[in-house]
Amino acid sequence: MRRRKGKQNLKLLLVNLVLILVCFVTFVPILYAFSVSINEQNSLLGSDFSFIPKQVTLENYRKVFTEEPVLMWFRNSLLLAVSTVVISLGTGVPAAYIFSRRKFPGRNVILQLLILLYAFPSLLSMTALYKLLSPMGLINTKVGLIIVYTGTMAVFALWNMKGYFDTIPIEIEESAMIDGADPIRIVLKIVIPLAKPTIAVTAMMVLIYVWNEYIFAINFMTGESTYTLAAGLYSLQANETSGSWPVFSAASLLVSLPILIIFFAMQRNMASGLTSGGVKG
Amino acid sequence: MKRIIALLVSVTMLATLLCGCGTQAQSLTEEEKNTIVIWHDKEEAVSEALLGELQKLVPDVTVQLEYKSNLTEALKMVGNDPKAAPDMYFFAHDKIGVYAEMGILSPITDLIDRQTLDDAYVPMTLEAATYDGKLYQLPVYFETLLFMYNRLYMADENVPETTEQLYAYMEEKTRGGHYGFVEQHSTAYYSAGWIHGFGGYIMDGNGNVGLNMPETIAALEYHKKFVELMPGESEYATVNTLFQEGKAHATIGGPWLVSASRAAGMDLGIAAMPIVDESQIPISPYMGVQGVQVLKHAAENKTEAVKKVLNALMQPDVGITLAKVSGCAPAVEACYESEEVTADDVVMAMRETAENTIPMPNRPEMDIMWTVAADMLVNINMSGQDVVTSCEAAQKNAEELIRKMQ
Amino acid sequence: MKKSDKKKKNGILVSYLWSAPSLILISLIVIFPILYTGYISLTNMNVYHWFNYDLIGLQNYKEALLVFDSGFLSALMLTIIWTAVNMIVQLVIAYVLASLLNTKGLKLRNGYRTLLIFPWAMPGYVSILLWKTGMFNSQFGLLNQWMERLGFSPVKWLADDLSAFICCTIVNLWLALPFMITIIDGALQSVDQSFYESALLDGAGWLKRTWYITIPSIKPIIAPSVVITIFTTFKQFDVIYLMTQQAGAKTGAHIHTILTYAYENAFITNNYGYSSAVSMIIFVLLIIFSYAINIKPKEES
Repeated sequence: MRRRKGKQNLKLLLVNLVLILVCFVTFVPILYAFSVSINEQNSLLGSDFSFIPKQVTLENYRKVFTEEPVLMWFRNSLLLAVSTVVISLGTGVPAAYIFSRRKFPGRNVILQLLILLYAFPSLLSMTALYKLLSPMGLINTKVGLIIVYTGTMAVFALWNMKGYFDTIPIEIEESAMIDGADPIRIVLKIVIPLAKPTIAVTAMMVLIYVWNEYIFAINFMTGESTYTLAAGLYSLQANETSGSWPVFSAASLLVSLPILIIFFAMQRNMASGLTSGGVKG
Repeated sequence: MKRIIALLVSVTMLATLLCGCGTQAQSLTEEEKNTIVIWHDKEEAVSEALLGELQKLVPDVTVQLEYKSNLTEALKMVGNDPKAAPDMYFFAHDKIGVYAEMGILSPITDLIDRQTLDDAYVPMTLEAATYDGKLYQLPVYFETLLFMYNRLYMADENVPETTEQLYAYMEEKTRGGHYGFVEQHSTAYYSAGWIHGFGGYIMDGNGNVGLNMPETIAALEYHKKFVELMPGESEYATVNTLFQEGKAHATIGGPWLVSASRAAGMDLGIAAMPIVDESQIPISPYMGVQGVQVLKHAAENKTEAVKKVLNALMQPDVGITLAKVSGCAPAVEACYESEEVTADDVVMAMRETAENTIPMPNRPEMDIMWTVAADMLVNINMSGQDVVTSCEAAQKNAEELIRKMQ
Repeated sequence: MKKSDKKKKNGILVSYLWSAPSLILISLIVIFPILYTGYISLTNMNVYHWFNYDLIGLQNYKEALLVFDSGFLSALMLTIIWTAVNMIVQLVIAYVLASLLNTKGLKLRNGYRTLLIFPWAMPGYVSILLWKTGMFNSQFGLLNQWMERLGFSPVKWLADDLSAFICCTIVNLWLALPFMITIIDGALQSVDQSFYESALLDGAGWLKRTWYITIPSIKPIIAPSVVITIFTTFKQFDVIYLMTQQAGAKTGAHIHTILTYAYENAFITNNYGYSSAVSMIIFVLLIIFSYAINIKPKEES
């Protein structure tokens, strides 16, 4: 017994070591950005770079907040992200549920078609979407962007959640059905609680997509005050004639923070998987 | 039943979402008519100075300057759509051909009398901004690349007068992480100077492609030995940083590098471009005219406000202020009566160099040439491919792509 | 008979009603652009006919087929290799890391997971820019600074095809792994522990348990995400373009995927009719390709 425990501890130690190493490798570019952002010297490039800067400054972070309308961008991003997540789940959950549970004519065709259509190179969708949104008066509006984002993520949401629903046994629902519960209640009371991990992952994916998306945001929104964080960051981007790398680095890191906080907060939800005995994977 | 209602509600909600915002104003309100949106891609110092001048000169027009990092692509998409397109944009003259052919630009002469313009501007700037016989840009200032050196390393008397002297200097000084001279050797904008120095061209004013001209080939063959003494990266970040950190003694760069280097405390010198020994022509980079283009919808619907802004931009004060912050040469002739301008050595050097170089072609085909020429330069300078073969292939490719534009 | 028919019809209607909002959105944002591109590909919409374009039939397709020369074929090959290499490495690493995260008794699990997911929280172009200038730049990049400190001569990481390919793969992995780890990690948690217990009693080793229990159990859950990732990898443009071919910052490597190739040989002409035809042909090729290697997700009946 004790030997087994010793072996277990050794194993844990090794696992921890490997994970620490992997995390460090992952973090090299981020640490780099961080040390650039707190370095007095004004350059992303420098021939005598070290991770610990000689003179630490928070000036660049101050600049992000005072010289750029970050808080407005943050509000825009937040609004877009939350609305998109809500609409994505609101439309995606029922669709995924139906595609998982019902066999109806056209179902298989639609499923396969959707994933194939996903293969279309998106380089050209921009102009087409512009031509679609402009006559509806949706250019330069948040609603237009929300529709684009929700539609873009809809294929993923549908497929991802359908895949998970497929693994939830139908028996529980059937017995509820016999008890006379209507389908909306079944989805709300039985399916959604069971599918929490996949809903959490899907919501995360949508959120991150909206948070990081900038191409639609800069092209469909004109004017700095309507930008999202990613779009604003893109316009801050240093180019030959302007821009400051350290401010850009500082802003990049700040943009990532909310996502990390949300991710950390959602961990528990994603982890509360299917552990109860009634459900098998 | 309940579920059907629920679903109907959600579908209707989606439908209202789609159509709800479709309230479009048919005609512009007074306030909208008095608001001019200008897209630009300039550094903050320039845009702030411009905005300040305009607010002073036309207080009754609301001018909004909006920074667009992908201005040229965004314009292609929004075209002439009054809901999304700007009223004007502030950019170099080389794109006017594309937008004029697309039909989204209004000729400046529709708004301002030709004679007034001819009297006020440096003639070369108006020529550069003319496409297909029509003037599509109100010039503000013009710029070109300059030969710059760090006096800490290169004394004024050591500044090379010919390219061979430059090469000798590079051979002597390029070692141990230091470079005698650096430039963005594999981009079309920077290499054009060398090609012009041999009498070749990337594309001439009539749309002829000159990538396989003997002069172009000779220039690139010759240029190659310089590239070998420069870093492998050709983009601005590497080149500018090397120069600003004092790792490179000299460079060819735009006016924006002047203020940045001086701000970093460098004792910066500006000199005439070295003369190519073989042809006796100096390295002649492209000249670009930065100015304001008016979109058709604005010229038609906001004529008064647009005219006011254009007239303000013609004031010498605007040119003087912008020259000071940008280091470029004002396009309005009267600016040179001001001592502030004549005393500025960067501005004066700019005018002298720019007036003797070649304006960027403004034809739509040039859009393709930037990419094709850059590919060719990379093949020659960085992938070590044969110069003649690369030039011939690029020529063929360019002609093919130009044919496909139609 | 009649009643059950009606009920069936009703069922179909309900099914479509439930999925309608999602399907409408997909039609608008995913399908409409394809149809529109198909339409534009039949017109002469270009710089010279921006607003007054006409239908010109299949002429653009005739031109477009000329793009599909040897250069295109090698780009296609490279795209396939790129997709295969990326997917295999990505799946293996993600699986190993997710399994490690699921080690029993690991206390810092959530901490590690948050750290591993960080790349995901940054906009893609920021990350690519960071890697390109911060890591791989031959003058100032961290890699070369380390190389020099170790006494090696500096390397031009992005100048040569093979090393540029590897660098792009590393960056792509860095960007894509957080998603894969999350998906596999989630799937691993749904695997019924009692399977393992009985397998342990049977004396099955780690490899055997992985092969016979874990992989079959998580396969249906991760399959959709994997298929979508395959397409995303296939369509990948940003990583390769920004790392090696960005205008004004080309590095000398010639790694072209079909998209970057089409970009340089069609899109830069500003001829929308023509580039739409190229896009449509690429799209058809992609569909054929996905059928050929049979990556369409299978429906278990």
